[in-house]
Amino acid sequence: MSWLRELCPVDLAPDELGTLLTVKGVHVEAVIRPWEGLAGVVVARVLEVRDHPNSDKLCLARVDHGSGERELVVGVRNMKPGDLVPLAGPGALVPALPAPLDRRNIRGVVSEGMLCSPRELAISGDHGGILVLPADTPVGADFKDHFGLDDAVLDIEIEPNRPDLMSVLGVAREVAAATRVPLAPLDLSVRESDHRAENAVTVEVRDLQRCPRYVARIIQGVAIGPSPLRVQARLTASGMRPVSNVVDATNYAMLEMGQPLHPFDLALLSGDGIVVRLAEDGERLVTLDDVERSLTSEDLVIADHAKAVAIAGVMGSAPAEVHPGTRDVLLESAYFEPKGVMRTSRRLGLQTEASLRFGRGADPELPPKGAALASRLIAEWAGGVVLAGAVDVGEAPARRWRSVRPARASAVLGDAVSDGDVREVFEQLGLRVGQPNGEVQVEIPGYRVDLDREVDLIEEIARVRGYDRLDSTLPGIKQPGGMAPTYALRRTVREALVRAGLREAISLSFASAGDLALMGHGDGLRVANPISAEEALLRTSLVPALLGAARRNVARGVRGVSLFEVGHVFLHGDPVDERESAAGLLTGPADGSVMDPERAFDFFDAKGALEALMKGLGVRDWRTGAALPGPYHPARSAGVIAGGDLIGAVGEVHPRVAERFDLPDPVAIFEVDVSSLGRRFSRPVLYRDVPRFPAVHRDLAFVMDEAVPAGTVLETLGEAGGGRVGAVRLFDVFSGSPIPQGRKSLGFSVEFRAPDRTLTDEEADEAVGAIVARLAVEFGAELRSG
Amino acid sequence: MAAPSSPIDSEQALHTLDRELARGLEMVAAASTLADVEQAEAAILGRRSPFSEVQRALGDLSEESRRRVGQRTNEVRNQLREALSGRRTALEAEREASLLEADRIDVTLPGRRPRSGSLHPLTIVQYEIVDIFMRMGYRVVEGPEVEDEWHNFDALNIPPDHPARTLMDTIYLDVPGRPELLLRTHTSPMQIRTMEAGQPPVYVVVPGRVFRNEEVTAKNMPVFHQVEGLAVDEGITLADLKGTLETFLRALLGQDRRIRLIPSFFPFVEPGAQAEVSCFVCDGAGCKTCAGVGWLESGGAGMVHPAVLEAVGYDPERYTGFAFGMGYDRLAMIRFGIPDIRLLWESDMRFLEQFEGSAVTV
Repeated sequence: MSWLRELCPVDLAPDELGTLLTVKGVHVEAVIRPWEGLAGVVVARVLEVRDHPNSDKLCLARVDHGSGERELVVGVRNMKPGDLVPLAGPGALVPALPAPLDRRNIRGVVSEGMLCSPRELAISGDHGGILVLPADTPVGADFKDHFGLDDAVLDIEIEPNRPDLMSVLGVAREVAAATRVPLAPLDLSVRESDHRAENAVTVEVRDLQRCPRYVARIIQGVAIGPSPLRVQARLTASGMRPVSNVVDATNYAMLEMGQPLHPFDLALLSGDGIVVRLAEDGERLVTLDDVERSLTSEDLVIADHAKAVAIAGVMGSAPAEVHPGTRDVLLESAYFEPKGVMRTSRRLGLQTEASLRFGRGADPELPPKGAALASRLIAEWAGGVVLAGAVDVGEAPARRWRSVRPARASAVLGDAVSDGDVREVFEQLGLRVGQPNGEVQVEIPGYRVDLDREVDLIEEIARVRGYDRLDSTLPGIKQPGGMAPTYALRRTVREALVRAGLREAISLSFASAGDLALMGHGDGLRVANPISAEEALLRTSLVPALLGAARRNVARGVRGVSLFEVGHVFLHGDPVDERESAAGLLTGPADGSVMDPERAFDFFDAKGALEALMKGLGVRDWRTGAALPGPYHPARSAGVIAGGDLIGAVGEVHPRVAERFDLPDPVAIFEVDVSSLGRRFSRPVLYRDVPRFPAVHRDLAFVMDEAVPAGTVLETLGEAGGGRVGAVRLFDVFSGSPIPQGRKSLGFSVEFRAPDRTLTDEEADEAVGAIVARLAVEFGAELRSG
Repeated sequence: MAAPSSPIDSEQALHTLDRELARGLEMVAAASTLADVEQAEAAILGRRSPFSEVQRALGDLSEESRRRVGQRTNEVRNQLREALSGRRTALEAEREASLLEADRIDVTLPGRRPRSGSLHPLTIVQYEIVDIFMRMGYRVVEGPEVEDEWHNFDALNIPPDHPARTLMDTIYLDVPGRPELLLRTHTSPMQIRTMEAGQPPVYVVVPGRVFRNEEVTAKNMPVFHQVEGLAVDEGITLADLKGTLETFLRALLGQDRRIRLIPSFFPFVEPGAQAEVSCFVCDGAGCKTCAGVGWLESGGAGMVHPAVLEAVGYDPERYTGFAFGMGYDRLAMIRFGIPDIRLLWESDMRFLEQFEGSAVTV
């Protein structure tokens, strides 16, 4: 916040500013106070350092904190008498520790608090020793106040179209536009020596497309050391690691202005010059993170006359790195074309602060300014002289002018926008506005890579004026709402299966090779980058996931499972045959009431659910067919045939499959292709007369071979009755004594009726006679007497 | 006038009646079964009863006495009959009650009902959402889950190398010769398919699965759900988007909800916005659900980018439109108080059965 206030002196509390920026589209995710847990730490002078009587590692330090002396036990011995150090006395709060400090007996000596390392004070990650403060720090001063650490950090989510917000300056511009507090002018002055940079080095850019601008400045005679404490604190709070004064200066300038910068040790560049070129295929480079990278001719590198020394816009290399002995620095401030940086960064899996900024679009006008700021900071923090001028290759592109029609803005926003409003908005943003031919023209600065089309400017108008000022209106919709047939079908399927007593489950769309093998499906569609190597295919069936779900339920002690899923499955097609499938599974005890005998789910529960589904969809023309291969029990399953097409299967799973899924009871499943059912989906219902004349009821039991399918007998019985058969119900299936071995008895309750009169017993008997004769001929069935 | 030569005189008769009345009432009261009642009736009013004797002797009395005794006879008979019938009714009621009592059941035993099914909580929330839009005049459409780069990215103004494209953890298919195939990362490709299929006006909502290459955690799944909305017509404005989202979110989450649009970036809309709704748990005061800010993100939205309209051959000068997309997994979690997103995917019967009573507005 203090940094932001240096650039835009706004007088708002961090939370207020956060809210204001958020509604203007600069999303402040959180306000962080890194030094909230710091209090009572004071600056003290070391008077004496001596050995701890009972420890080889520890030592004792006596310090003067301005209003008295204290003795402390210290773990490292990097400070010497006369040094200034941060002292946390009893009662002081240190960010790294959860509770206030107290007097503590450490190996027989009472320590009156502690001396702090930079990490303990959240200044940097350095925990190698006690922080030794600059000699001009006043003894007794409050550490937090003196170094300005009573500060807050705005954590901002940067949207990919606004790379300009990846800098304090960028955010300050938004603050200025939101609060109308003018920006403070930036000081980009540099004290230069008489020697000119161009006489010291050369820069050759071989690919001006990928690197339209390269600015190099030279700083001679630097002394590498730590950067000022306050700078370290700001870098740490911004999520960067303080390294050394030179490196910190480049990072600090980048964070402030948005220009990524890179310092090279000039002595390590052979040929005193920079060549910007494409890498050779297979060229290798060890980057600063100590990883050897193999490059391709797609990658742009910064090279000297012998070797590549950096991957352009991504990361520098170890061989040309600034090190503690560095004296002369070549400072790179360039503009790299975004796509190239992004491709290289992505291919290498290497994302850096620089590649993020270049990849999303840095400001092509910025390199000279960034170089100036960083040079000044280096000279200020590391000493040395900045050579006059810069080696500057390429140039900034001319600024674009974009026009916006206020009438169009009004039409898109639903909010009246005048010429004056447009002018005001862009002037608030610090952009130049012209009005040559009655239309409003805006000059787009290099940092606003997001402003291109008229509609981008219209968004700026809405954003700066605030979305909250818009009215809430509704479009005049002149159509009734409704559902696409596929969606209506899916809802009907769910409705039918819920009514059939199944609970809806969902499962991921992925499958393993084992799942496909289980279903007897050959090859499925492969995923190039699967979430798990195990499940690298798209599902071809909903059944494996239902079996897995049943296993999970049973393992958790849930005995009765009745589930369904409706979802997409994927088969090979041209290239993909994506279908809607519906599947159900029932296993374990059917949850009847306490009064009913307990029974387990079996084939007929799955078939019943399927019947309910078909009924719900109005599909009448369907039947069961021969058993299918796959996970099914060969003698307790069937194909499902609708209108002559095989559209699914119903049945108990093979006992071996049940065993594989640890399911102790029979498992009944069904799966049908809803997409093909959709073609038969018919809901129109036509009223038929309710019978007004009483029917004659007869119970008929026939004995026939076991193998005769009941469904066929039922069908034939209806036909044989000569139009007099009404409802027929199969009420009994029986085999065993007194029925001969290999035969069975089927009992039918048959209703005989005529639509226009009461049927006589004689007429019913006639129909029964016809049925008996027909069943005898077709199935060798005999009417059971009695 | 001579005294009547009757075996009983009138005083005697009256006395007998009173005695018989008292005796009768006593017998009736003592009757504990219907048979006792029958017996009492015979004993008191039967042909051989003293009462009947008095009745029979009435004719022998003088006229005045006959009237007096006769009246009393009637009174006594009526009283006795009333008592008998009352007792009979009471005993019959008792008998019926004890018969019914033998049929007593334990009414606290669970009822016998058909096995119950239920919709998945995500389906319930999806229905609520699309049903609101259907009432507002939108048509519900669906699209494929396997998409191509054109529909998922290019046509949506997300060219190759665009940061927004590389930021999405896209799951690609491995189909030889078809590197453009992927699992859709959002429901937005249906904007393109819908517009490719016809001319404006377009008012659709698209529910469906979307995919990202993300690890399974308590908050994230590689598969989740969105509803996309698209309105393209003449004269559609950003204010229309605001009003539509406001109407929708209030219908879904309560009429007291406040809505705000925050400028935001999505390549296929411009101006772009993030829609936020005042937290329906704490009503904007700040709570755990809204991470203390009082607002819940409810989706991305904006005016359809002219480049998108151009990609499908619509004239962006003539037509404008808005689009929005919202994930509803988190909404379902907040709505039902589900702490871990993985519960939605475990198919645990004890989880699923909890949503049985959840009303679905149709």
